[in-house]
Amino acid sequence: MRFDLKHFKRDLNQWSLYTVAISLFIAIPVFTIIFHLFNGKGEMWDHIVTYFLLDYVLNSIALLFGTGIICFSLGTASAWIVTKYDFPYRKLIEWLLFMPLAIPSYIVAYSYVGLLGNGGTFIRFLNMFGIPIKKIEMMNIYGLIAVLSFSLFPYVYAGTRAMFKSYPNSIRESAYLLGASEIRYFFSVALPLASPAIIGGLFLVFMEVLNDYGAAKYYGINTFTTGIFRTWTALEDIQSSIYLSALLVVLALFILAIVKWFRGKKSYALKFNNEDKTKRYNLVGYKKIYLIVVFIPILAGFVFPVFQLLIWAVQTFEVIFNYALFSIVIQSVLVALFTALIIVLIALLLIYFSRWSILKTPRFFPKIATLGYVIPGAIIGIGIIRSSNSIIVFFDTYLDLKVGYLFYGSSVVLIYAYIFRFLAVGYNSIEANTLKLGKHLEQTSYLLGIDKFVTFVKIDLPLLRNSIISAFVLVFIDTLKELPLTLILKPYDLNTLAVKAYEYAEDERVAEASIPALLLISTIVILITLINYKKSKTN
Amino acid sequence: MLRRSLIVVFTIMLISCGNDKSEIEENNQVLTLYTHRHYDTDKEIFKAFEEKSGIKINVVKANADELIQKMESEGDQSPADLLLTVDAGRLVRAKSKNLLQAANSDIISSIVPAHLRDQDNFWFGLTKRARVIVYDKNKIDPSELSTYEDLTNDKWKNKLLIRSSGNIYNQSLMASIIANNGEEVAKDWAAGIVNNFARTPKGNDRDQVKSILAGEGELAIINTYYLGKLINSLDPIEVEAGKAVVVFFPNQEDRGTHINISGIGVAKFAPNKENAIKFIEYLISKEVQEKFASANYEYPVNAEASSSELLNSWGTFKEDKLNLSKLGELNKKAVILFDEVKWQ
Repeated sequence: MRFDLKHFKRDLNQWSLYTVAISLFIAIPVFTIIFHLFNGKGEMWDHIVTYFLLDYVLNSIALLFGTGIICFSLGTASAWIVTKYDFPYRKLIEWLLFMPLAIPSYIVAYSYVGLLGNGGTFIRFLNMFGIPIKKIEMMNIYGLIAVLSFSLFPYVYAGTRAMFKSYPNSIRESAYLLGASEIRYFFSVALPLASPAIIGGLFLVFMEVLNDYGAAKYYGINTFTTGIFRTWTALEDIQSSIYLSALLVVLALFILAIVKWFRGKKSYALKFNNEDKTKRYNLVGYKKIYLIVVFIPILAGFVFPVFQLLIWAVQTFEVIFNYALFSIVIQSVLVALFTALIIVLIALLLIYFSRWSILKTPRFFPKIATLGYVIPGAIIGIGIIRSSNSIIVFFDTYLDLKVGYLFYGSSVVLIYAYIFRFLAVGYNSIEANTLKLGKHLEQTSYLLGIDKFVTFVKIDLPLLRNSIISAFVLVFIDTLKELPLTLILKPYDLNTLAVKAYEYAEDERVAEASIPALLLISTIVILITLINYKKSKTN
Repeated sequence: MLRRSLIVVFTIMLISCGNDKSEIEENNQVLTLYTHRHYDTDKEIFKAFEEKSGIKINVVKANADELIQKMESEGDQSPADLLLTVDAGRLVRAKSKNLLQAANSDIISSIVPAHLRDQDNFWFGLTKRARVIVYDKNKIDPSELSTYEDLTNDKWKNKLLIRSSGNIYNQSLMASIIANNGEEVAKDWAAGIVNNFARTPKGNDRDQVKSILAGEGELAIINTYYLGKLINSLDPIEVEAGKAVVVFFPNQEDRGTHINISGIGVAKFAPNKENAIKFIEYLISKEVQEKFASANYEYPVNAEASSSELLNSWGTFKEDKLNLSKLGELNKKAVILFDEVKWQ
């Protein structure tokens, strides 16, 4: 971020103003938190520092490192195999690698205890073969790292795969002509070139890890997020929990700075092709063992958890299943679709407004607006209820208008909260691709006298189509899975699958939660399939 | 395309706002309930009330802390009429934050015993749950068991299972020990329990029982309500775990077994106070209380209501008559002491 007074007038154009205005509006809850920081430390703060802070920091760092390394390995390796090689059912496998995203992490955490815990499905299976094992302990930090990695690696896989696919054959051919081995090509050429996508994916993984509550709590691991809730609820000190949230935001900003630094170091403007025309090699001979690389994440992240959920679903079907569940499916889908649509629009507006403005400063503002991804949902909820209450009082006192029903009775506030929470998901995946586009196309268009908006619609939009679709899908999935915000901000008559599943799980009825969870998963699976089908048709 | 989508977006927004308004105007007789209970049984009970009284119930389900925060933030604009929680502590907290009001009803006062309600009638217990010891019937002779205090005895070293201190039922148990024995004794007690842990606390109450079945420990402190759920679970492993243990009610020779309640209070700014009181009266009626007991394994607060077959099979017990307000007042102290003895 550089600010030159000399250029202030030149830079002060409408695009900068729009960017700043939209970003600030979305970032209101961040400011609420910052504002609360000035109230001084809470009364329990010293207690937290004495007994917990080190724990929170160390556990969170261990989780970030562990999941970072595993997600990086699983995500890039599997993306490499499916883009470089051809093998039977490749398309299906490419698609299955996305699927772990469809299951909320806390459900994955529960299902692994169902599989590997006392009397678990897999344990009984082993016992049948005479292996006298009682259980495989998942409920520790290693188990948590494993569970979070299995459910989050597709964030890395998604972007990296799109990147690998877009490499023109010429790069690979040049590398081979110069005598580079396959391994050398992968590490020295393919991976570095994909770094914007990998880093973008890892950023999402890190934010999800920092924000995880359900899985960490169930496994008994103290993290920032469980600490924020504990401080708030058990120690009755919301001020200190806001302090902790602020520390979490600082941690996120730190990660963001590293991401920026990595991205800033290199910039590539290759002529990538956006279509899947990369030449593939057949997997023959010993190379077939590469398939393990794609099967492990699919099994661990999707097949095993779903298998356990299905077992529970069979057990609970008669009691839990009813047709009213389908109306919940429809409600959840409508809200998620609507949210995803708005987020993609706002992300595009922010990206393009700041591209169109010359000033460096506005480019920083959208980043603030995307910080909501790291703040625990419940804290955002509080911030939003407080702000909306001031608005209601304002309208009531000064304009004599009763607007309360707008806030409590409709989904407006909920959707605003989703936007704040998930803008990062849409923004990052689209932005990574606009960086790749470079500026030469639009500059050519401007030279030809075409205005910005038309250039955007006619040139950038079609080029970004795939990344817009994937941003849309990611936001849709995240919204569908979202819990804490939905719980406190939803209007009475709105019901979502995530809430339904949670109601059972919260009451320790994990088996009963399986049917709503499976409906949630199938909804996401169907959507991804539809979009993939449409994509392959239009291609 | 952009412009068209914007138009679509705003139209949808307008439509969704419009809908909500008309709905609010249509229903004159409503009751807004903020509840931490997520049980299907409750839904049936609410529905029966709606049919009987013609009052529509709007339900907001979330954690009690979030609901309290929500009520606090909403202030006098809050649509909440009632706050329903699964422990007394949160109701005490809501009262101290000035979010509840007195509900004076002769019916309620005559049914709910004094120690299960607020002295100023700001909240009332609806159902009771006891925090008991369950033990492995093959390994432990019940004559060895006596009190919560005795669980710190060295003979239980590496045998005791209990969930983490973040759980409200553990916090309430600790609060009751502080109230009965004083802070210092309570701190030593907690340290003694930590010393006897079979493993670092993890999982929920049901997981503790499953761990007994797996031989990781021999006895556990859990809530009766969860044992009921376990025995009646649809998952055969859970049923097996539930049947492998026996309930022991501690402290029968002195103060009695620690109990907690699921309780309800009328919101300070309740727009429909009369309906709210009517609803509480309904919830403590004999018929509804029996439903709570049979379908949800909770002990009724209404003495006339019979408890269920399963609850009876565990035997009757003497309960700690400590006024539950104390649990709320001492909750924070309990958590601080837990942290000091490093109870995870």
